[in-house]
Amino acid sequence: MSNIHDLLGIQQRRRFLRDCVGGIGTIALAQLLAEDGVAVENSSLTDPQKQKSPHYTPTAKNVIFLNMAGGPSQLDLFDNKALLQKLDGSPIPDSFVADLNDTVIKGGSVMATPRTFSRTGDCGMEFSDLLPHLSQTADELCMIRAMHTDTANHHPAQLLLNCGTQMFDHPSLGTWVNYGLGSQSRNLPRFVVLKSYSKDASLVGPSLWTSGFLSSTYRGVAFRSKGDPILHLTNPDGVSQSFQRARLDAIGELNQLRLETTHDQEIATRMASYELAYRMQMAAPELLDFSDETAETLAMYGIDNEQTRWYGTNCLLARRMIERGVRFVQLYHADWDHHLELNKLLPIDCGMTDQPAAALITDLKQRGLLDETLVVWGGEFGRTPMIEVRRASNLEVAGRDHHPFGFTMLMAGGGVKGGHIVGETDELGYHGVKDRVHIHDLHATILHCLGLDHERLTYRHKGRDFRLTDVRGNVVTKVLA
Amino acid sequence: MWQDFFGRGLVSTSADFGTRGEPPTHPELLDWLANELIEQDWSMKSMHERIVTSATYCQSSTVRPELSAHDPSNKLLASQSSLRFTAEAVRDCTLAVSGLLVDKIGGQSVVPRQPEGEDMEKFGNDQWTESEGEDRYRRAFYTSTRRTAPFPQLETFDAPTARDTCTRRERSNTPLQALTLLNDPVFFEAAQALAKRILREHHGNLDQRIEYGFRICTSRLPAASEKKSLRASYQRLHEILQQEPTSASKIVAIPNADMTSADMTSADMTSADMGAWVGLSSILLNLHEFITRD
Repeated sequence: MSNIHDLLGIQQRRRFLRDCVGGIGTIALAQLLAEDGVAVENSSLTDPQKQKSPHYTPTAKNVIFLNMAGGPSQLDLFDNKALLQKLDGSPIPDSFVADLNDTVIKGGSVMATPRTFSRTGDCGMEFSDLLPHLSQTADELCMIRAMHTDTANHHPAQLLLNCGTQMFDHPSLGTWVNYGLGSQSRNLPRFVVLKSYSKDASLVGPSLWTSGFLSSTYRGVAFRSKGDPILHLTNPDGVSQSFQRARLDAIGELNQLRLETTHDQEIATRMASYELAYRMQMAAPELLDFSDETAETLAMYGIDNEQTRWYGTNCLLARRMIERGVRFVQLYHADWDHHLELNKLLPIDCGMTDQPAAALITDLKQRGLLDETLVVWGGEFGRTPMIEVRRASNLEVAGRDHHPFGFTMLMAGGGVKGGHIVGETDELGYHGVKDRVHIHDLHATILHCLGLDHERLTYRHKGRDFRLTDVRGNVVTKVLA
Repeated sequence: MWQDFFGRGLVSTSADFGTRGEPPTHPELLDWLANELIEQDWSMKSMHERIVTSATYCQSSTVRPELSAHDPSNKLLASQSSLRFTAEAVRDCTLAVSGLLVDKIGGQSVVPRQPEGEDMEKFGNDQWTESEGEDRYRRAFYTSTRRTAPFPQLETFDAPTARDTCTRRERSNTPLQALTLLNDPVFFEAAQALAKRILREHHGNLDQRIEYGFRICTSRLPAASEKKSLRASYQRLHEILQQEPTSASKIVAIPNADMTSADMTSADMTSADMGAWVGLSSILLNLHEFITRD
């Protein structure tokens, strides 16, 4: 099996690089061929960037990204602002909204939060009463309070959060990571997406885990909530494991005969793909079978409770996946987009996700995995201190609108400094005023933890060297241990 | 155009014909082709015919080490390239060979069979209602497109997403493709139909039928070693199904109520016989060669 895996690695790289536009692809191909003993005329070519190995020593090997789609309200969860309470019902002072230039989001009355905040952990980090479990993991968390982004629309903001740009079809974070590092997984996809919903929402979709202009072998594979976790994992009705194995053996044998005639190395890759497909079929049931987990673990993730079962299952799966070599797991929970009925709906999403997210961090820590696993919690933006003006006509159904200027995200594990707060927003939680972190900075930091230099992890496309952070981004050293 | 026939354009950077792109590998040829297009009254069909009847196009794609050593990416076109089919061609050829493909041109988009839950992220409220009757088996070209919920089989085989311009499709080679060809109900149904077609159109013995099936799938006769392998596979599959009679009856079951043609069993064939033929047909449809233009 290891031969096939190596072969798969070489052949996929070779095919991938051969199909690249000139530039780096050609250079790397020359190197590869040289490695394989094929003479190359232009041996003076050197590749300034070696793929598949980090640029420097990583602190994290895996990433679990808890993407809270829709924009969770930081003012009701993480950022306790006395002035918010004091100005409740009054128009928001002009000084805050002077630069607000949105077509739909307007200044209006300030809306206080009914939540109560308390400090936990050695560091005294504040959380609202809606996150009783996550607050207990405060000593592992780095809370980044002055996040900011470029847009207040969902899809462009999610594209920015996931792919580093508001434009479609650029590679996603998980794709860049696997492009840079490869994957240790022999039986599972290298980048997996898990989804959960508190209600139907179209906030999330394949554009967020696309491979863009990088090879589609790096694309996120969405595990499905209904039926087969990976599409077509189950054999057709009546096809037993023996029948399937017999089919695979037959296909492999004939492909091998063809390979010997045509010497088309793509056939070898195809044979390896079929073997990997079979291994995925074998591995997935084991992955999904929680009977080897203790009752305590299952209870910790809330699997026994209907409210937390879905997200709990996803979080537990995420841990199991990284144990089995999946490099990058992205969990989407939608939606946190509380334009209306914030006080009624926010507790629902917290109720579904708080306990499992905390369990994941605790479980990783207990198993000694947290040091190598970077966990990120957050959405594409936050929510406004002022009441939603667009849709709310009365206070009972009030909510908050999208807010890109100052919001909170959390990081834990994988080289991040736990029990630590970075950045501050102003007295109303409107703008970040200290240690502001842009999405590009977040990306630079994530890549840094994985041992990748965001300025060197590039791909030549359409005549320029693209990278996840485009032409921006700085590693936020204050976040690092 | 050249890119479609050879896998790589005369200018390989099809997203960039500018100064930062690659120069043409055969500038005189490119000039000639450009002139020829004008002289053929801008007829794409004439150009296609020109290209595919050329000596360059008709070369074998068998890899010759002495050529790869000098020109690893085959820029100079000393041989043809083996190219995996496009996403649409994978579906269309599978349906065509199995006799299921409906040739009808024009009309409304159709909604092929799709597993439940695939369209959860789609924008809007319209439901993905599976087409019935002959609309199940139309060319992939007619598949209804949703940007927010792309049709899985097409996405798996690198069809463009409609979110961005695509000047050159990738030809990836992934386990998800393997799973689709092996297990997707549409493809398994095609295997059933192919089995029926072979048995209906050829009444010879096992070896002869194997040869017939191989030929209609690959446009060539199998080598002795290939025939031997297929015969052994048939026997293995048959053996398994004899031990698993319930499996056999499921494999030969009619997949949907629309199928009104003769059912899968007949007087002189057992379910195990028939089921082994379905298995063999699915093997042929899964060959690398079947989804590759050599």
